Amino acid sequence: MKLKRGKMLIDPPASASSDIAFTLIIFFLVCAAVQPETGLSQILPKTEEQAEKRDQSKNIEVTITPTSIVLNGSPLQLPAFSQRISAALKQKTRETDRIVVVKSSPDTPYPLWIAVSQAIEQAGGILTLELETERVINVE
Amino acid sequence: MGDIGFLLLIFFVILARAQDDSHIQWQPAKLKDVEMAAAPLASVAIDTGFKTYLDGKEISPDELASALTTLLGDTPSGQRNVFLKVHKEAKASHFEPVIAAISEAGGDLVHILEPEENSTKP
Repeated sequence: MKLKRGKMLIDPPASASSDIAFTLIIFFLVCAAVQPETGLSQILPKTEEQAEKRDQSKNIEVTITPTSIVLNGSPLQLPAFSQRISAALKQKTRETDRIVVVKSSPDTPYPLWIAVSQAIEQAGGILTLELETERVINVE
Repeated sequence: MGDIGFLLLIFFVILARAQDDSHIQWQPAKLKDVEMAAAPLASVAIDTGFKTYLDGKEISPDELASALTTLLGDTPSGQRNVFLKVHKEAKASHFEPVIAAISEAGGDLVHILEPEENSTKP
């Protein structure tokens, strides 16, 4: 049996290849441009070096280490921390009392830090960082 | 005509790539309840080697605050978005000075994160 030969494929004209490439680039550029980024916005008070002057007695203090989150001296895990910080901030009515001072150990991983800061903001707290400053003292 | 357009486009693509930070190697941390982020005025990144970049160019955290202050200029609050892209394995010693610098420059900080499954808000 003889098979019927189909029509041969026809190559597009070579002069159109740059136009095709141009259209393809436009397509990929548009695809790349419309990819939205997702994240967490965070409102931080402007950095001040006179941190010692503020009234620390009224502020909630949170210390983050790689293994635990310490809220006013009590070590907690993240779910318990979220509940306790919400309960603690519910009692605070003034904005200045809602400041939560966060101290992190230098080896605190970013995913834990961001989860804690999200829990504080969801509870209505105002996150403030307390950074350790390095001082070089020459001893002769 | 097509050739000229093609070359012009390549030129502008290369020019734009010199200003962006898509060449930086980093992996975002995952978090529940992330939101769509608005367009940024500046982008700060900490890569897998824990180096800091401002709009794709390497910068030391000490110089970041002044560079951001210049970049943000007199833009009103609420429109001073600064994206912060931190590699998920970075530690507080890497990212806290950067956050402090963004805060000092008066930037509206937006942590760029990957949503955990079924957790993106519109």
